Amino acid sequence: MSDALYPFLSPAAGDVEALLATVTRSTVEKAREIVALRREVLTLLGPRIAACAKALAAAFAGGGRLFTFGNGGSSTDAQAVAHLFLAPGPGHRRLPAMSLTADVALLTALTNDIGFDAVFARQLAALGTGTDIAMGISTSGGSLNVVRGLQEAKRLGMVTVGLAGSGGGQLAECGAVDHLLVIPSSSVHRIQEAQATVCHVLWESVRRALDEAD
Amino acid sequence: MTLALGTYLQERDEAGLALAEDAELIARACHAVALRFHRGGRLLSFGTGQSAADAAHLAVEFVHPVIVGKRALPAFSLANDASALSGLARAGVFATQLRLLGRAGDIAVGITIDEDCAEVAAALAVAREMGMTTLALTKAGGLDGTVVDHLLTARSRDPRVARELQMTTYHVLWELVHVFLNDPRLAATEISR
Repeated sequence: MSDALYPFLSPAAGDVEALLATVTRSTVEKAREIVALRREVLTLLGPRIAACAKALAAAFAGGGRLFTFGNGGSSTDAQAVAHLFLAPGPGHRRLPAMSLTADVALLTALTNDIGFDAVFARQLAALGTGTDIAMGISTSGGSLNVVRGLQEAKRLGMVTVGLAGSGGGQLAECGAVDHLLVIPSSSVHRIQEAQATVCHVLWESVRRALDEAD
Repeated sequence: MTLALGTYLQERDEAGLALAEDAELIARACHAVALRFHRGGRLLSFGTGQSAADAAHLAVEFVHPVIVGKRALPAFSLANDASALSGLARAGVFATQLRLLGRAGDIAVGITIDEDCAEVAAALAVAREMGMTTLALTKAGGLDGTVVDHLLTARSRDPRVARELQMTTYHVLWELVHVFLNDPRLAATEISR
């Protein structure tokens, strides 16, 4: 490798090798941790994911569209899952999906004029119909704008999906989530990684259901 | 409807445990990245499709850490600006932005889950030429190691499974960079690139 260490340059380099060994061990532990969590999640949430996929397949078959949303890292996960449905690659059907954080004009206008809590709810009120699907992602389950978005979606009669970590937070309590998928972890990073797995398995299940129905 | 749970789990278990075998590669990449930050470098991330979202995710980890008390580090994604992405499509979106926004001493991170990843590969080659430290997060059968300093390959051919492993890799990258930056021994080390 081009940036191998040069131990002869510095007496401290030996110490760095020791530090590298420590962080290598910690990386091994994290890799094992997420493997175990993923296994737990798919086993525990399998029936819920299957039920959610069935509802999504029915909504897509009825002309529904998927709207996804979240904050920070979860906004990128929302963007990624929308893209997976929209452009899953060769051999797979494309499905209508969009994330609600892509339009900077809308995000800034709604935040400036109303407040950040309304950014998803207002977009859903304008764009959504009762045939559509709303998917909100929040690692804490406590993001108010995500909760409000799902409440608006529920009011409109959309299929609502909530992805959360920890105990599910407000997403579990708000009564607006038809399909609640909670990752049993308190680490934001491990939650996000397991949520990606849930989203991918959900997409795969929806795809299979639609293929079988053809 | 039943899930093909066994299949989903097996694919992920095997590839996930293989990630542990690459722990030392990952640790060395983190060390190199930490040194670049220590010397004033910035992290520029990029990718296409789902990986564009991951490029943004990686950048937000550094700029706005999830753990209170961790310092903000300079990072940005080259895959966020719709005008740049569409306007520079013919010129090479990432390579062009790297030439204009990047500097020697920065860190370029290309993320890809595609086998055809010419856009990302071209940008990494430009970054390397400019004197940046280059990392690629790729998948089995994807980008090879000829254009980067640190090739971190998720050992699955399935783009979805590979992406899940890459998320763990970039979360660990963020975490370990801070471990190195907080260690007084970091400044005494040298790397060639």
